Amino acid sequence: MAWLVVRLAISVSLLYAASAVFEDQVGKFDWRQQFIGKVRFALFDTHSQASKKLLVATDKNVFASLNSRTGDLFWRHVDKTGPEGHIDALLMYGQDAVVVVGNGRLLRSWETTVGGLKWETVLDTGSFQAAALVGVQDLVKYVAVLKKSAISLHDLSSGSQIWGENLPDSDSVQYQTIYSGENGLVFVLGIVPNSHIVIVEYKIEDGEIMNKKSVEAAWMSSLESSCAVVSSGILLCVDQITQSLYTLPLQSAEQTEMRQIHLQMLDLEVASGFRPVLTSTQPNPAQPPLSEFFLQLSPDHHILLQFKDGLIALLRDFSPSYLAAFATSGERTVAAVMSPKNDTACSINLFSADTGRKHLDTTIIYHMDPNGGKPNRLYVHAFLKKDDSVGYRVMVQTEDLTLTFLQQPGRVVWMREEALADVVTMEMVDLPFTGTQAELEGEFGKKAAIQDGLLPMVLKRLSSQFILLQAWLAHLWKLFYDARKPRSSVKHEVTIDILSRDEFNLQKMMLMVTASGKLFGIDSKSGTILWKQYLENIQPNSVFKLIVQRTTAHFPHPPQCTLLIKNKDTGLGSLYVFNPIFGKKSQISVPTLPRPVLQTLLLPVIDQDYAKVLLLIDDQYKVTAFPSTKNVLQQLQDTASSIFFYLVDSSQGKLSGFRLRKDLSTELIWEVVIPTEVQKIVAVKGKRANEHVHSQGRVMGDRSVLYKYLNPNLLAVITESTDTHQERSFVGIFLIDGVTGRIVHEAVQRKARGPVHFVHSENWVVYVYWNSKFRRNEFSVLELFEGAELYNSTVFSSLDRPHAPQVLQQSYIFPAPINTLEATLTEKGITSRHLLVGLPSGNILSLPKMFLDPRRPELVSEQSREENLIPYAPEMPIREEWFINYNQTVSRVRGIYTAPSGLESTCLVVAYGLDIYQTRVFPSKQFDVLKDDYDYILISSVLFGLFFATMISKRLAEVKLLNRAWR
Amino acid sequence: MQQMKRLLDIYVALQALFALSWCFSDGEPGPVAGSQSNGDRFKIEGRASVPGVKTQDWISTALILVEGEEYVGFLKTDGSFAVNDVPSGSYVVEIVSSSFRFDPIRVDITSKGKMRARLVNYIKTSEVIRQPYPLQIRSSGPHTYFMKRETWGWTDFLMNPMVMMMVLPLLIIVLLPKVVNTNDPEMRKEMEQSMNMLNPNPELPDVSEFMTKLFSKGSSKSGGGNKGSRSVALKRR
Repeated sequence: MAWLVVRLAISVSLLYAASAVFEDQVGKFDWRQQFIGKVRFALFDTHSQASKKLLVATDKNVFASLNSRTGDLFWRHVDKTGPEGHIDALLMYGQDAVVVVGNGRLLRSWETTVGGLKWETVLDTGSFQAAALVGVQDLVKYVAVLKKSAISLHDLSSGSQIWGENLPDSDSVQYQTIYSGENGLVFVLGIVPNSHIVIVEYKIEDGEIMNKKSVEAAWMSSLESSCAVVSSGILLCVDQITQSLYTLPLQSAEQTEMRQIHLQMLDLEVASGFRPVLTSTQPNPAQPPLSEFFLQLSPDHHILLQFKDGLIALLRDFSPSYLAAFATSGERTVAAVMSPKNDTACSINLFSADTGRKHLDTTIIYHMDPNGGKPNRLYVHAFLKKDDSVGYRVMVQTEDLTLTFLQQPGRVVWMREEALADVVTMEMVDLPFTGTQAELEGEFGKKAAIQDGLLPMVLKRLSSQFILLQAWLAHLWKLFYDARKPRSSVKHEVTIDILSRDEFNLQKMMLMVTASGKLFGIDSKSGTILWKQYLENIQPNSVFKLIVQRTTAHFPHPPQCTLLIKNKDTGLGSLYVFNPIFGKKSQISVPTLPRPVLQTLLLPVIDQDYAKVLLLIDDQYKVTAFPSTKNVLQQLQDTASSIFFYLVDSSQGKLSGFRLRKDLSTELIWEVVIPTEVQKIVAVKGKRANEHVHSQGRVMGDRSVLYKYLNPNLLAVITESTDTHQERSFVGIFLIDGVTGRIVHEAVQRKARGPVHFVHSENWVVYVYWNSKFRRNEFSVLELFEGAELYNSTVFSSLDRPHAPQVLQQSYIFPAPINTLEATLTEKGITSRHLLVGLPSGNILSLPKMFLDPRRPELVSEQSREENLIPYAPEMPIREEWFINYNQTVSRVRGIYTAPSGLESTCLVVAYGLDIYQTRVFPSKQFDVLKDDYDYILISSVLFGLFFATMISKRLAEVKLLNRAWR
Repeated sequence: MQQMKRLLDIYVALQALFALSWCFSDGEPGPVAGSQSNGDRFKIEGRASVPGVKTQDWISTALILVEGEEYVGFLKTDGSFAVNDVPSGSYVVEIVSSSFRFDPIRVDITSKGKMRARLVNYIKTSEVIRQPYPLQIRSSGPHTYFMKRETWGWTDFLMNPMVMMMVLPLLIIVLLPKVVNTNDPEMRKEMEQSMNMLNPNPELPDVSEFMTKLFSKGSSKSGGGNKGSRSVALKRR
């Protein structure tokens, strides 16, 4: 019976708390973009002419098939992150793609049309060197994998190992490349640096060593970077010191020395300090490579050469040229070369590989993005046209990870911004008002208006109303005009100029900072990229912090964002100030930061231009203010005694609090040391500055009020034990007042370990840890209450709080692993809160905070029912209806960003990881707008029905009265 | 109420017992995740199927996750899968697909490489309900991500308690005079008697009395044939 009651209560509460997506809302206000990352290998499917497949393997351990006509994904497989999922090589033959994964640990063959695995084999340990397809009599049958000390040959259809052999003298010789052309042999090339080359010949059938020889090459330090195999088994190497090419036939037994050909004989010279690069091509693995090859002499100089009868002939000199690549279609091989045209554009031309002759009318113009990086990779897809001439398309990858697919004469077929696969941090900024809206706003804002007097104000109001009417009529006309046109032809292009704030402020500008140093401004409604800016010279280990200093609310002043870029190793930082709406760099002078930055602090203090003041604290505890005008400094001096900040030194386990002095130096006020021998600080989080709490307390069942402990200075500090043994590990949480350093509460979760995800908001902290005893994830919630009375209900001061808060805690089992955790946020904080949980499956779960309430009773009482408390259940439910992104999963979700909208019921959510997903959530349902399925027809028909019913009955009544009167 | 309280007590006591029993039984069966023997890596194998759907239609979007994203595997074109390089321990194996639902399974691997599959139970973590190994995972159908819109139907409208409360008395008013012949004096007498019995205080004006008066008035005025329509007309007015 009791259980039944509990069940009933749960199901009722579920009904209340459910916030789910309806099927007709799909795609209405949400969008997802899928990314792959920086392309490392790209192969076009040349198997058939009609094929649209483009196979790519990326540095994000993603193997995907793209539609080369549209740039969309056919399928995508996301492997484990880190070196274990790293894709070492990608080979393709026919319908199958062979991939070597995890430093040569796994060999996989994919069926490329379906996107399913054909076979997978585990290889022996050993670091991966090279892989190659091996053909026998014009048929590719095997794949050979070269490891540091072994070589193995695998069957292409089943993956089974044909043979595996240990390499001779593998401790002294570095085996680096593998070559197989014809005549049933596999050559393994190794090197003893600055001494000699070792060439081992294996028989394909059984792995028998046919021949082994070593060739003197004292000048050579690496085979891989300076050699290539051309023609029928000729090893070709280049050396920049002697300025010469060396050739060696791999098979000949008599030649034991490399033949030197001076580059001077060809009138060529390697640019000083540049390492020349040889590029050869082997269109069919069962046949020897072509005798033509590219030699790159300097960053913008390529030469097409030909090896013939032991001689090297110059076919064509491309100077200047940025990139060059070979492509084969059928029997014909072509070379595409990209050369600069002018400052903003490059031209790509096609040349026949065997003669170096230029193909006519094959120019593709590639326009470089002035805010982007230089092109650095060129992938060519050649095909035969109907008239048997060679046509081609190219894919260009740039430094800022933009993939552009072009076709003649320079039409961009599609573009992908792969930098967005690695979003580091983001913010959402309100869109500015349109001219008319701003006009209306300006009417109230200006001081001059008051002095104008009555009549001018009336006139002004009339004129602005007229402008509004005009705008509305124009809008109506546009709607009418668009409605006449067929649907497909109406283009919904979004540009910055037409963007303006909507009625409910639901459409915002998303600012995204990516790890590669590219900034994006994205329209949150459609996902269109409105602007992008590539910041050059960003170290790969930089950390970013994005700060909105001035919003769009201060109309004549443009909004202003500041990006702090900090080098992780040195701690040195720099500031980049820009306008978040247009992406333009601001002209404001930026303070130089000569010392490492430890902490930043955005103050509510504003300067005369309405920009919030940013304080940067360096390692000598000196403070730099930005902007640092006189006005600001004056204000800082006035308020210095009430500006506090904290620093975290996790290596020494030290938390320290400082106060600002009038001369912008600081004084230490408190220090908390958490001994590093026992535990280390993993994370510190305060509360979000833009968070509002609507109700000060909670009304209990007996009509008394339990007041919340709303300390805006509270910090949640998470620690993990240094001892990782399953029995002794623990997770600790400290709640510390950031002003006084007082430890408000501490809790320890024994037999637990990280990774810990947590949210700190209002008067609660929710954290997730791994219970290593029971092998499950557990949620724990801490809620802080002042008690039945508020100490000082008007102002909260950390310095004057004599009573310690009451702390309630409860823990629950969460039946799934967790990637990230965030809480919803609304304008006024009236709407109930939900927790957004990013799961490894890619789903985002919206979990009502109601389930994480430490006051959930074990026994249901009248009072708890009155309060709508759900009875305690150890396991947290996961319901599929709570997945806010239904089947639009976000791979490797790393962060969730929430922002309030103008509607109290609505919270904007962006989840980012490998993909980006934007949606809106309604934690308490849409209580302030009419529902989507609001039945206008029913309501109006009922109204009309009632109206007519009264009319008719009135008439009838009249007739009846008349009849009665006649009687 | 007393009984309910007792039941609740029993329930709590039972739960406490359960908790105790878990504490005792824990640690006996099942290998421990923390202690890994170095070097030995094992393979988790199995096969997944979605009834009624061809494998090539769903495998390209599916993935095998072992303990979150700790180990990742992919599905072969025939629906089978293998996750390589997994050290001994206890793992939750889950097939992730955006269109079909699969139940997770816990796989225990001993340090010698013996495999065991069992149902995932996060509350009683040591409970063993064996599952076949190599894993046989069948989808339990497509995901139900969406809530159903509340649709408007006549049945919903009619079954609404408010409507029922309005309609039933109306029916009684309309139909009762037809069923019971109020013109029959015996019947009327009987009714009056029963009314008096129900009404302990005859002085007080009563609803039922008022109703009988109303009926008798109506019936006296015209024949029984058009009584129904008349009363409706009255109501309209």
